Amino acid sequence: MNLLRRWVARQFTTRVIVLMPVAIAINIVLGYTVQSVLKLPVYVDSIGTILVGCVAGPLPGALTGILSNLIWQYAPGIGPGSQIGPFAITAGVIGLLAGVWGQLGLFRPRRGHALNIVAAVVAVVLIGVMALYTYGRAFESPDQFANATFKDPSVFDQSRLFFLGVMVVFVGLVAWALVLRRDVGAVFAISAGLFTGIVAAIISAPVYAFFYGGLSGSGTDAIVAAFRAGGDSLYQATLKQGLLSDPIDKMITTFVVFFLVGSLSRRFVARFPNGEKIVGPEVEAEPVATPEAG
Amino acid sequence: MAIELGSVQYRYAGSSTAALGPIDLRVDPGRVVGVAGANESGKTTLCLVATGLAPSVIGGRLDGVVRVDGVDAATLKPHELAQRCGMLFQHASTQLSHTTATVFEEIAFGPCNLGLAVDEVIERVWWALRVAGIEPLAARDPVRLSGGQGQLVALASVLALRPRYLILDEPTSELDPAGTRLVTEALTRIVRETGAGILLVEHKTDVLAQIADKVVVLDRGAVALSGPGAEILADPRLAGLGVESPASVRLERAVRASGLEWPAADGAEVIE
Amino acid sequence: MTVIPRAAAENPGLPEYVIREPSGFYHSLNPATKLCLAALEVVVAFAIPGWLGPGIVLAALLATAAMSRTLRGLMFIGIAALPLVVSIMVVNLFILPGATDPIARLGPLAPTWSGLWFGLMTTARLLAFSSAVALAYLTTPIDDLLADMSRRGLGRRGVFVVGAAVQMVPRTLERVREITDAQRARGMDTEGRIWRRARGLVPLAGPVVFGALAEVEERTMALEARGFTAPGRQTLLRIPADRGIDRVLRRLALAAIAAIAILRITGRMG
Repeated sequence: MNLLRRWVARQFTTRVIVLMPVAIAINIVLGYTVQSVLKLPVYVDSIGTILVGCVAGPLPGALTGILSNLIWQYAPGIGPGSQIGPFAITAGVIGLLAGVWGQLGLFRPRRGHALNIVAAVVAVVLIGVMALYTYGRAFESPDQFANATFKDPSVFDQSRLFFLGVMVVFVGLVAWALVLRRDVGAVFAISAGLFTGIVAAIISAPVYAFFYGGLSGSGTDAIVAAFRAGGDSLYQATLKQGLLSDPIDKMITTFVVFFLVGSLSRRFVARFPNGEKIVGPEVEAEPVATPEAG
Repeated sequence: MAIELGSVQYRYAGSSTAALGPIDLRVDPGRVVGVAGANESGKTTLCLVATGLAPSVIGGRLDGVVRVDGVDAATLKPHELAQRCGMLFQHASTQLSHTTATVFEEIAFGPCNLGLAVDEVIERVWWALRVAGIEPLAARDPVRLSGGQGQLVALASVLALRPRYLILDEPTSELDPAGTRLVTEALTRIVRETGAGILLVEHKTDVLAQIADKVVVLDRGAVALSGPGAEILADPRLAGLGVESPASVRLERAVRASGLEWPAADGAEVIE
Repeated sequence: MTVIPRAAAENPGLPEYVIREPSGFYHSLNPATKLCLAALEVVVAFAIPGWLGPGIVLAALLATAAMSRTLRGLMFIGIAALPLVVSIMVVNLFILPGATDPIARLGPLAPTWSGLWFGLMTTARLLAFSSAVALAYLTTPIDDLLADMSRRGLGRRGVFVVGAAVQMVPRTLERVREITDAQRARGMDTEGRIWRRARGLVPLAGPVVFGALAEVEERTMALEARGFTAPGRQTLLRIPADRGIDRVLRRLALAAIAAIAILRITGRMG
């Protein structure tokens, strides 16, 4: 019991408490900007959540996600969005997972040593298998659910297409990371993003279907409509659309956070609860200059 | 009864060289100690060490002893230190709690954190408003204030904790001359009414010329010059240490350099 | 817990602009009461089958909004939800799997009555839910909500995180606007192809996030310097009123929610 309390307390230092509102504001503002100004078909409303989870831990991450959704209504100048409130659960899970990835050290930059590369390949294979299985299951029609088979060509083609789409994005981001930074660690981060995205899609599909009929008033509705036209139930159509948008969005977001964390001053990151897992043990030979002048 | 730094040396976390020290310094109640120096000379570090924020909040390693009224600062918790040494930073906006709708509540933030009775809180807020000279601002939204007003609100917020010592890190650096004057006047009033001891880090030596009793000049983390305000500020070595002399001193030098006489300060008329 | 008749009663020495007593019956209800009522409305909208549920809620909401002068606010909610409503209507009207009662045949498209019905139903529920939540927040300033939760035990750190987040959103928004304008002046695409727009995102996210994070260190020190980590309970300056009527309403709301839940679970409802 005491251990639990200490684990909780460790994650909520004053610095984390200061970071959380900043992260929540980033979530809300970037999410709103992306949706309205840049008109991209992804959400990008979890950068703050994943950042907090990564540097502070699962609980602050989860809370950041949950509160972002609940506070959105109160945000002056943004006004009510129709997409929040019920999604607090999903956001909480995203933050929780980010905390787990942070604790596992998945956001640490790793050079191209043989061991790292092998580990990266293993991670990719694992994620690939998991994704393939999930997509395969999701794309079966309800009555085939009981006898899971990949032999029906039409069902499998659909799932394969989507799966390929998501994998293309995955490989693309990894390649970009390797070119920009020669950082094998990016593979882990992006894999984690893919996993998070899949989980997010699965959790939010029922919420989406129940409250909003699976629709959002944006371009992705066409996809849902297409699946519905094919005969899918509300839940299935929503799940399939989610399995396309969410993994891509979370991969991009995790990718961005990975680079952000890598670009921050190491001393700054080190002072957070997960700091050492990201930065490595005591950093030496930092310049004497402080963030403040003088 | 003073803040005493005894052979203090401080190293930031992850740094291999000392940012400050070894240094000895003393701040007495009712006196203003001015600190000047080039950038990176350790002025901010000195403030953080004197208030105890370093190492208790930001980590790092401290050698030597910092005593506040005889008590070792390392044995005090941040909220206990806050009630002894108040600290004011450069940027007004980062010192706001951003959780309050009026200046009144913003100033009450500190006393409320301490759990004081409501009557006590209200009394302290009105007192801090008066001493900082911002009673008319009590109903205003803290986020919508000018730089100078914001700094005064921050000052009042710190005062509300009734610290015996105030440590200010370049409080006027982002202010215009009007704002600077407001802050300087407020500081003078504070010393006069509360007898607080002030450690004031300032680039603007004119401000130091106005209110500092003693001036210390830092160079690469150590004390280069130390003595009575007027004497140090007139010292020709200031330029070499990266500190600009106050306007009055520069004027006097310019006058003498052009061959004119500078009237002695013995009551004779001085051309302003 | 004691009844608190008026917000001012507890704190005689406080100026009016601090107490900020709300005016109007609905506005002056305790924040927790308004949340309970919103919860009841959401439950009624979804748990009572057919048109009865959403119908009751929407009627009640409109009446309350009229009474509390928040109709304009609700109108904006409706307008904001318009794209979603259109989407729901269109998709369900034309594409409802298993619908066999067409209204007309327009070439390949066949809108169905079932689709229309389902679409309207979903829309009604959605509007009821959104409006219920919106009414609660339109009539409850965040300060009051936090003050009430503080009184009921929410710690100072929770109050800080929520309060500071709300205040920081406009600041961050302004910063984004400045950066977007600057980048647009330098030729960033906001209307072009997807790839261009995606590339425009990184130069935006970077400065915003870095700028916000740069302050974290100093803010942390400033908070500690204001005794934020002092032990014990924080003093509450502002305490929203919690009157007899509030207790009654809350109890009724919670009882109704329980009743509906039980009826629904045991299948006794429609």
